[in-house]
Order: sequence, then C-alpha cells, then structure tokens
Amino acid sequence: MIGQLAAIAWNGFREARRNRVTIVVAIFAVVLMLATALITELTVTTFRRVVIDFGLGSMTLLLVVLAVFLSTGQLSKEIDRRTIFLLVTKPIGRGTFVVGRLLGTILTVSVLQAAMGALFFIELGLVGESVGAAQVQAVAMLTFELMILASIGTLMATFAETLTSVMVTGSVFLAGHLSSDLYLMASKAKAPAIKLAGQVAYWLIPNLSRVSFRSQATYDQVSSGETLLSAAGYALVWVAFSTCAAVIVFQRRDFK
Amino acid sequence: MTTAAIQTIGLSKTYTLGFLMNRRVKALQSLDLTVQPGQIYGVLGPNGAGKSTTLKLLLALVKPTSGRALIFGHPAGSKAGRAEVGFLPENPAPHDYLTGREFVRMCGQLRGLSGVELDREVDQALARVEMTRTAGLAIRRYSKGMVQRVSLAQSLLGKPRLLILDEPSSGLDPVGRRQFRDLVLEEKARGATVMLCTHIIPDVEAICDRVAVLVGGRLVKEGPLSELLVSEAAEVELTLEGVDAEAVRAACPAQAHLTTAAGRVLVRTSAESGTALVGAMLQRGGRLVSYTPVKHSLEQLFLSTLESERGAVGGDLT
Ligand SMILES: Nc1ncnc2c1ncn2[C@@H]1O[C@H](COP(=O)(O)OP(=O)(O)OP(=O)(O)O)[C@@H](O)[C@H]1O
Ligand SMILES: [Mg+2]
Repeated sequence: MIGQLAAIAWNGFREARRNRVTIVVAIFAVVLMLATALITELTVTTFRRVVIDFGLGSMTLLLVVLAVFLSTGQLSKEIDRRTIFLLVTKPIGRGTFVVGRLLGTILTVSVLQAAMGALFFIELGLVGESVGAAQVQAVAMLTFELMILASIGTLMATFAETLTSVMVTGSVFLAGHLSSDLYLMASKAKAPAIKLAGQVAYWLIPNLSRVSFRSQATYDQVSSGETLLSAAGYALVWVAFSTCAAVIVFQRRDFK
Repeated sequence: MTTAAIQTIGLSKTYTLGFLMNRRVKALQSLDLTVQPGQIYGVLGPNGAGKSTTLKLLLALVKPTSGRALIFGHPAGSKAGRAEVGFLPENPAPHDYLTGREFVRMCGQLRGLSGVELDREVDQALARVEMTRTAGLAIRRYSKGMVQRVSLAQSLLGKPRLLILDEPSSGLDPVGRRQFRDLVLEEKARGATVMLCTHIIPDVEAICDRVAVLVGGRLVKEGPLSELLVSEAAEVELTLEGVDAEAVRAACPAQAHLTTAAGRVLVRTSAESGTALVGAMLQRGGRLVSYTPVKHSLEQLFLSTLESERGAVGGDLT
C-alpha cells in the first residue's frame, strides 16, 4: 500500500513538474522577488515592513493559486478524461488513491514553498534586513494553510467539475480570511437570523487567519509555541475532515 | 466444482439522466452469466447494448442498480477481485504527460509490483505489444493505435488470471489485429480467462470459445460458439443432374428451395432431408454434381438476432 501511495503521489509531482503552469509560477516568483528589491529602493521609513509584507504576500498568493489548481485540476482531469478507469481498477483502494493524489499536491507545493522561502530569506539578506523568528514562523505555518486548501480542493474534485472546484476552493481562501471578522460582525447583529448565518459560516469555512502568521511577521511579533501548535492542530483537523469526506465521496461514486 | 472466473447474478444498471434525475436508461437488465476459467468469452451486441456497462460493473467503476457480480468468487470491485483482473477500457486515456514506459511502470506499481520483477514485467509487456522502440516517447505524441497498444500492455502486467478487454483491437492495424489474436491465444494457453467485447466478428469466430449477445441491455443469446452456429438449423446446398425437377420436388420437404438451370437442379434444404434426397435421386439414376454444407457465419447469426429486436441501438429509455 505504501508503494502504491508513493506511486500516485510521485506521479502527481511529476505531472506538476511537466506542467507549464508550475514552471510559469516558479519563474513568476523569481521575477516578483527581484522586483521587490527594486520597488523598495523608493521607500525609506517602512522599508523592512514593506519588503516582508510584499515578499510573503506574493509568495502566499502564488502558492495558494498553485495549491488550488493542482488539487482540483489534476484529479478532475483524470476523472473527466476517464484516465481514472485505468487506475482505480487496479488492486488499490480508492481511499489510497485520493490520499496519494492529495500527498502529491502537498509535495509539489511544499517543494516550491521551500524554494520560495529560501529565495525570500536570501532576498532579505541582500537588501540588508535580518531574518527573524517571526518571518520563519510565517513561512513555515503557510504549509498548514496550503494543506487545508489542497484537501478542500481534492474534496471538491471528487465530485464537482474543474471550474466549480476551482471557484469554490478559491472562495474558501478568501472567505477563510474573513470568517472570524464575519463571525464578529454577525454576533453583534440584532437579527437572530444573521447571527445564525454568521455562526454557520464560521463552522463551515476554515478560519484561515488563525493559521496565518503573515501580519505578525510584518511587525516582527514572535508567536509562542503554544499558539503555533494550536494553529497547526486546528489546521490538521480541517485537513483530516476534508480528506475523510473526499475518500467517502470518491468511494461511493460511479465513474461513467 | 471450480469457481467461475466471472459470475453475474441478476446484474442490472439503470442510469439516471437529466437535471432532475427523472430520465432513466436501462443500460443492463438482469444479466445472468457464468464464464468458466480458461475460456475466451466474447460479448457481442450493437452500439449501446450494454457491453461496456457490463464490464464496468465487473470492475465496480459503476455500482449495480441491483444484482451482483463475482470474480473468482470475490465480489466485483473488492480489492481481491480486482487483483485477479487485467482491464483494458474502451478508448483508453493514459496520462499524456508520461512516456509509454513510465505509464506502464506506474500501472505495475499500482498492481503491487516492484524491483526487478516490475522491470521485467514492464519490458515483457511492452515487447509483447511491440512498443519497446517507442516506449520512451510521451503518450501525447502517440497515434491512436499506439495508445491502444500501451494500454493493452498495462493490462498484461502481473499475469492476471482474468483479462477484461473492451474493444481491444479498435485502432489496431491489420498486423496488430492478428498479433492481438495471437496474444489472446497465448494468454489462454497460459491458463488465463479472457472476456472481450468487440464489433469485429471475424476475431470472435477466430478465437472465442463462447459468446453472449446483448441487445438493448438484455441477453438474447448465449452459448458455445460451435453450438450457436449450428443451432440455426444447418442447411446443405446440392446440385443434381439427370433427374427432372418434378421428381426432386416430390422427394424433398416443402420448405426446400429449388432452382433449375441448364438441366441441373439446385436444392437448398435441411441437412437430414438433403442426405435422404441424394440417396433417392442416385437410385433413380441421377448424378450428384456438388454437395455443400451451408455454414452460418456468426455475422448472419448476429444480424438475424438483431432483426428480431426492434430499435436495437441503446438501452430502454423511460
Ligand atoms: N454515463 C452514462 N449516462 C447515461 N447513460 C449511459 C451512460 N453510459 C452508458 N449509458 C447508456 O447505457 C446504454 C449502454 O451503454 P454501453 O456503453 O454499455 O454500450 P456498449 O454496448 O458498450 O456500446 P458500444 O458498442 O457503442 O461501445 C446506452 O443506452 C447508453 O446510452
Ligand atoms: Mg462499449
């Protein structure tokens, strides 16, 4: 089973590597990072903050786009083109297949994340800014945010078409950063219906601001181990939940 | 008693269609089949008869609406069941970013092969479909027949006891088709059971031991190929000389078909009455010019079966 899991995950990585989109994203990352160095020549007072904010922001955006497209695109393309007929008819559990696909996405995104992280730190060094714990924490914790998105993307791809999956998963990213604000706003509302809606949204959408440490990095605020651990735990619960749902849906569905 | 390679019991599949899921196609209706180990089993039928649906049910790509299927005694779709099967789907679509070899290799890994055994199986399978030379090319660059060949190669990996092949020779060139027939016969000689769907009747006549004919989701004929062909009352065609047509007419049954030409009488009649007729006419001093048994080809059988079914294309729509 480990061999089969590895074969599926490795194949996803290989697919991404041969896909032009991934290469474009990688090139884009390099260009953006270099551009940061130029733009920041202009600002003086908030120099450090802008470099960190821009570097982390562009890195996050690129990786999120990649996580969304890979997790939804690869699997739904396989189902669409009926390549899946050749795969799930092998003596491999459908659950193993879905988990392998998810691992492949996580592997690909993580490799790029490591490269972009390194590039980001090098760039900070080049412009004469120190790399502190807060920045390292933000880059590392980004993994969890990406894992949540990849698992939701995979879940969507098990039953929905590519476009729908991309839109829903993309919206989860946007809403996930607003969900705690929405909850706060809704809880202050007078109408009970709005209150309820806020609560429902809070439970249905992962609270991504909880696992994101970018603003802390911008202001050089180091988070405690406890905070990080609880954020990671929260993320893993979401990943486990979406993955289980994906496996169940995938096991039950027909491939016509 | 040996376990059947394939057994289906009241296997049915109804697809629901439409936005409201309110239209239904009965793709397969209550199919009972048993395929004994070691046979080459052909599934025939017009377009939309439910052949591919049957194969998909055997691999649990779709779940039956009712009934069930067993593969060597294991429920269809169980891991143990799938471990016995090498499957070639209709219009296979392997990953086009992989090379032929990479794809076949990955399939081997999914079958649980590894190490030296994996390498050997991959090489053998590619060689058997003559794809060794082009195995390093991306599948994106393959022709239809080449895609068909690598997909066939992956079904052979791990020497499965049962091969399930959906239109395996589609897209193959004439040489490829013959090689494919030989390949299936080799697999049979190795002890494998083969179930295949095809529209190429000469292939069926050449290699199948038994056939099933599906029309509109229903099984309309099933049996050993040899029996199906003769069960359509065997006929003979004979030519007599030196006797007059009246005498021949009197000596043979009413259904017989007579033609007179150039002093000869051409008779087409059932095999038994033909033999009796020849005896009687020779006694009367006639000469037998020719005697030919009329063999029904599978194609005739197939066409006559279809004629008796109306609206043969596709399952029942409701
Ligand atoms: N995904 C699907 N959704 C709805 N109906 C389907 C689907 N797949 C097949 N059908 C219907 O099921 C019936 C049987 O289809 P099937 O693919 O089994 O035919 P077939 O015998 O393999 O035909 P062919 O010789 O053309 O390959 C057809 O009437 C078809 O319309
Ligand atoms: Mg078919």
